[in-house]
Amino acid sequence: MARTRRSRRRRPRLTIGLLVLASITVITLDFRGSGHGAIGWAKRAAHDAFTPVQDAVDAVVHPIGSFLAGAVHAGSLEQQNAKLRAELNRLQHQSLTDKNAAQTLHALQALEDLPWASAVPQVAAIPKVAAEVVALNPSDFAATIQLNVGRDRGVDVGMPVVGGAGLVGQVVDAWSTGCTVRLITDARSSVGIRFGSPPGYALLQGSGVGRALTVQYVQPETPMRKGEVLVTSGLQGALFPPGIPVATVRTYASSPSSTQETVTAAPVVDLGALQYVDVLQWEPSA
Amino acid sequence: MKTRPPGPVTFPDVVRFSVVLAVSLTAQHALLDSVRASGAHPEAMLLLPAAAGYVAGPERGAVAGFFTGLVADLLLPTTFGLTALVGCLIGFVVGVATSGLVRTSWSIAVLSGTAATVIGLCAYAILGAVLGQPSMLTSDLAPALVVATPSAVVLAVPALALVRWAIPPPAPAASVPSAGPGW
Repeated sequence: MARTRRSRRRRPRLTIGLLVLASITVITLDFRGSGHGAIGWAKRAAHDAFTPVQDAVDAVVHPIGSFLAGAVHAGSLEQQNAKLRAELNRLQHQSLTDKNAAQTLHALQALEDLPWASAVPQVAAIPKVAAEVVALNPSDFAATIQLNVGRDRGVDVGMPVVGGAGLVGQVVDAWSTGCTVRLITDARSSVGIRFGSPPGYALLQGSGVGRALTVQYVQPETPMRKGEVLVTSGLQGALFPPGIPVATVRTYASSPSSTQETVTAAPVVDLGALQYVDVLQWEPSA
Repeated sequence: MKTRPPGPVTFPDVVRFSVVLAVSLTAQHALLDSVRASGAHPEAMLLLPAAAGYVAGPERGAVAGFFTGLVADLLLPTTFGLTALVGCLIGFVVGVATSGLVRTSWSIAVLSGTAATVIGLCAYAILGAVLGQPSMLTSDLAPALVVATPSAVVLAVPALALVRWAIPPPAPAASVPSAGPGW
């Protein structure tokens, strides 16, 4: 009987030990597979199965979500409301609905004819898929968005995503009807960039949601100015085609003893207000 | 606070917990993900393991937490298995911490759920940093805690009710040794 009681006490410890081991095994498999193995397949299948359910439930509960979101952002909503009232006074002939429709049209037109793409023939020639942002980052620990286009429309992992003003991020997961895009502000995002003339090359690193991007490997005494546009380098093996605007220099500091300049940058696209984007059907060569 | 009678986990219990998982996952992604402040949103999926540990003890709490985390990981862009690891630890720790309670109450359950959410998010960020994403600890954790902690107070009650419906507590161990037949 005493042995039975002892084994009953030990069993939870054995269980938690096995579960921790199983978790570590799964984490290791995920790292080794990098989304291409069984785990990647399971995630895609889960997204395929869950997306219709989420869409259906979302249609029903969206007003509740909006109400809760409104309660959280009551302060900023009041400010916005005041702004809108002032605007309404100035533009009485234009209803809010018309304005919203015009903004949407403007955003779509900007995507249809990317303003910066005409100067970059390599990008202008790449076929693109227009997409709507259907969800913001589902995790508090990653800067990602979800789009309503997936493998059915030719979207695949690794493809760049651009907005009207420039680079938004890269597709990191794709299933039949949607995909997940890692934004350039995510801490795991690195973009090879080019700037200035003669061109300098550096690496743009994300630092998390709402934080400035950091520009790494800028050699001391490199000529650089605030507001300078940083574009994708497109060097051999690069993750993005060349010439896409990514960010503008925000701060630039130099210290005599450091081996590189301290440079921060801000994305050219307003990543907090994304509605429509384009997925470029271009895959990294490596 | 009423609980189900103790007993083994049966197939209907597994089905019930699967339903609870599906409902929680849908609520998380269709409703709670849109409630944002400073880029963070309420976190319901960490409350289920805590509630399971509170209701059904460390062993069942750990198992429930592991599977809750695995399912949550399927739809998250972060490392697969991270939520499963945090979930089984939460279920186990809450189960161990509350198994010695003489009596249970809603306030203790809510407190356990809230504390577990805070500890779970910290563990998640620390493990993420160990796995090569230091920003999870340095920049993402603070807003996540600010939003998830007060929301856990509210969400702990429905999470507990759902888990109590799904999982029975384990049968208590016999405290008096039997003399055996023929004595």
